[in-house]
Amino acid sequence: MKILVCITSVPDTTAKISFTQDNTQFNKTGVQFIIGPYDDYALARAVELKEQHGGSLTVLNVGTSDSDPQIRKALAIGADDAIRIDTEPTDSYFVAAQIAEIAQKNSYDLILMGRESIDFNSGVVHGLVGEMLGIPSYSPVMKLEITDGKAEFAREIDGGKEFLEADLPLVLGCQEPIAEWKIPNMRGIMTARSKPLNVVPATPMDDLTVLKKYTLPAPKGECKMIAAEDAEQLIALLRTEAKVL
Amino acid sequence: MPQYFDRRNLDFLLYEVHDAPELTKYLYFEAHDRETFDLVLDSVTQIADTLMHPHYRDVDRNPPELKDGKVTVHPQIKPFLKAVGEGGLIGAGFPFGKGGQQLPEMVGACVDFIQMAANNGMMYTGLTSGAANLIATFGSPALVDAYVAKMLGGQWQGTMALTEPQAGSSLSDITTTAEPQPDGSYRITGQKVFISAGDLDAVDNVVHLMLVRIKGAPKGTKGISLFVVPKFRLEEDGSFVDNDVTSTGIYHKLGQRGTPAMHLTMGDRGDCHGWLLGEANRGLSYMFQMMNEARIAVGITGAAIASAAYCASLEYARERPQSRRLNEKNQLDSPQTMIINHPDVKRMLLFQKAIVEGSLSLLLESARLSDLAHVSKGEEKENYTLLLELLTPVAKTFPTEMGVRSVNEGLQVLGGYGFTEDFPLEQMYRDIRITTIYEGTTGIQSQDLLGRKMTIQGGKAPRLLFAEIDKTITEANTHETLQPYAKMLGEEIQRLQKVTSTLLPFAQQGDYERFLMDATLYMELFGLVTVAWQWLKQGIVAQNALSDNSPGESNTDFYEGKIQTMKYYFHYEVPKTLGLAKRLQDPEVLTIVKEREVKM
Ligand SMILES: Cc1cc2nc3c(=O)[nH]c(=O)nc-3n(C[C@H](O)[C@H](O)[C@H](O)COP(=O)(O)OP(=O)(O)OC[C@H]3O[C@@H](n4cnc5c(N)ncnc54)[C@H](O)[C@@H]3O)c2cc1C
Repeated sequence: MKILVCITSVPDTTAKISFTQDNTQFNKTGVQFIIGPYDDYALARAVELKEQHGGSLTVLNVGTSDSDPQIRKALAIGADDAIRIDTEPTDSYFVAAQIAEIAQKNSYDLILMGRESIDFNSGVVHGLVGEMLGIPSYSPVMKLEITDGKAEFAREIDGGKEFLEADLPLVLGCQEPIAEWKIPNMRGIMTARSKPLNVVPATPMDDLTVLKKYTLPAPKGECKMIAAEDAEQLIALLRTEAKVL
Repeated sequence: MPQYFDRRNLDFLLYEVHDAPELTKYLYFEAHDRETFDLVLDSVTQIADTLMHPHYRDVDRNPPELKDGKVTVHPQIKPFLKAVGEGGLIGAGFPFGKGGQQLPEMVGACVDFIQMAANNGMMYTGLTSGAANLIATFGSPALVDAYVAKMLGGQWQGTMALTEPQAGSSLSDITTTAEPQPDGSYRITGQKVFISAGDLDAVDNVVHLMLVRIKGAPKGTKGISLFVVPKFRLEEDGSFVDNDVTSTGIYHKLGQRGTPAMHLTMGDRGDCHGWLLGEANRGLSYMFQMMNEARIAVGITGAAIASAAYCASLEYARERPQSRRLNEKNQLDSPQTMIINHPDVKRMLLFQKAIVEGSLSLLLESARLSDLAHVSKGEEKENYTLLLELLTPVAKTFPTEMGVRSVNEGLQVLGGYGFTEDFPLEQMYRDIRITTIYEGTTGIQSQDLLGRKMTIQGGKAPRLLFAEIDKTITEANTHETLQPYAKMLGEEIQRLQKVTSTLLPFAQQGDYERFLMDATLYMELFGLVTVAWQWLKQGIVAQNALSDNSPGESNTDFYEGKIQTMKYYFHYEVPKTLGLAKRLQDPEVLTIVKEREVKM
């Protein structure tokens, strides 16, 4: 079985976010980057499936060399090789088209990725890739088994779960508890250095999105302490300052 | 983001101050690069975040129990040992040929630091890797085959079994005995006390690296041999049998309660087998290989617990409103200020930061010397080794003695809440207390520093150290803002040299009691100065970063914080050397036992 896992390189969930160049550029200095947490689940399940069924596991990232540490982590966790499409990932359509271009050439049985990235949270790349390749896609998948070339999986839906079965090839957007995150072991860390990381140029495309600027949510106001017995002051402040009454 | 250490600071010390990637230029470390180091630290943090830190309190509240000769430990110990064993972390520093990944000690020190900051009660793996290292270094191929892989895999626990009721600080008084048998094997009889991880149900076997006297051996340290004494021994038919090591008692401890400290009796039934490691009567020198590493590891534990306490008290100080600032005392309508804004609280926080980050820097300096000694040859190797030997007692003592004070201040920051079980500070306060006692008490470390390390090879080690410090001073002098601190450090070195030359004549006259009577105060002085050197090193890197490029907002905050803490250390801590130097040069003798004992 040939598996492709697409990973994003995203700021750590606790990173302090700021912008430069008139609020048009995300400021990366001092920010710790990680593999997108949902992608990490997809990767963990892919490693298990490869252990069960054999075959190959490739990780793919659309990004600049800034993503290399995250790619290397994925290799340390158990991917056999990696492809980085060397470009700034500008929007979901662009990323999906780049992934589809590679997938077209390599005919994977299973393409896994997170249900969404945690930076822009669009959650549409899996659907777009499926559409571009003309194969089914599902998300968010929380359980996945492969038997006799068929996928059996569970998807979270409003108020419950949906159990599905589909033929391969498939594109799936994953989330917990599909597998537990894997921690690279020492041997994996050392072998990751010699596993191939193929850097390929992006396929030229027109920009469909023009980013004008970012804004941050208004900073949290200072906490005002009100004596427990002073309900009147509380009501007054909720009216005049918070304007919620 | 963990709440028990600062990764940015760890990266700063490892990469910017002590330049760990430079080690990868040596053939031995060539398989590594900064990315492997980062991945190792990320993995350990993930293990610490998921398997260690969440159980910090619970492991303390449910300590090991000895019932019917069996020791049950907290259920979380087993999955933890499995994860670090399977993760290859226990033996990461071992050579490739011996089941390891040749990870530099510098990175290994950071691994230990993260784990001990997360949950120092789970103090198991350092003992195992130290014990396995002794077997790998001095054991016969049969012993290596039988033990090392199982230990590095986390299935078997290792211990260091030195202490006996009458032989704590004084290992020359060990009496546990090995009797040679006609078939060349030995039977062991005796008792060991305080043996950490000496028995537990989370592993399949416990392997004691035990100091023992072979019957008829010379008195004192020259008659001590090192034995492998397992809980279960492997018979020729492949079965495991009980090796007659009995858990006779378990200590109820103030802290570090997650790890059992055992009283063990060997040979109750006359059936305790031991295997000699290396040559007879050379055991103590072999054990010193493990003890020197273990001493640094205890220093790391001290710095790590102090780090966790600092993080917890800093978080509290930022969120706890109390009182108004001193200049706004009467403005009772204005809201209370956060306690971090009170100068006294800020001082307590700066003290902790200075101790934690200064200690960690000294520990990484020592680990770096160990790595360099490993990869170099001839005189260079000798010099690195001498410097490491000089710094080892300091790297054990400063982070632990000052760590105790640092956690004390951390608890103080929380006021009454620090004294309650609602916050982790009371546990940290209990946990860190052992670090100045085991692996050689502060008193013993101090005698080692002044009585041995300062004088070996005619005082070559301190000469090498002062030459290193001089290089730092010269570099600091290139920055105008650092010149006052370079000057202060230079003066401190002179003071230390003067004190040393006042004391050395007592040794030359053969009056060791007078020479060493205040060795612990000498250690305090030496530690203060050595860490001042580490702070100046950090100041240089921070100053370079601030002046050379535009580091970005969060980095600017970070580097400015470094400069501020360096200044704190020099203006608040370094002046304490004055009192110490005065006492150390004072001719009045009050502590040496005279013929007629003065009443206490
Ligand atoms: C929790 C815990 C875990 C431990 N784990 C281990 C372990 O895994 N393996 C192991 O072998 N041991 C272990 N120990 C033992 C530990 O190393 C000893 O307790 C320590 O070395 C001190 O020995 P002692 O307790 O007999 O104290 P003593 O040696 O009696 O010391 C008492 C005091 O006298 C001072 N003193 C003693 N001799 C001198 C001297 N010559 N000059 C000046 N002052 C002196 C000491 O500094 C100390 O302040 C552990 C102890 C504890 C409490």
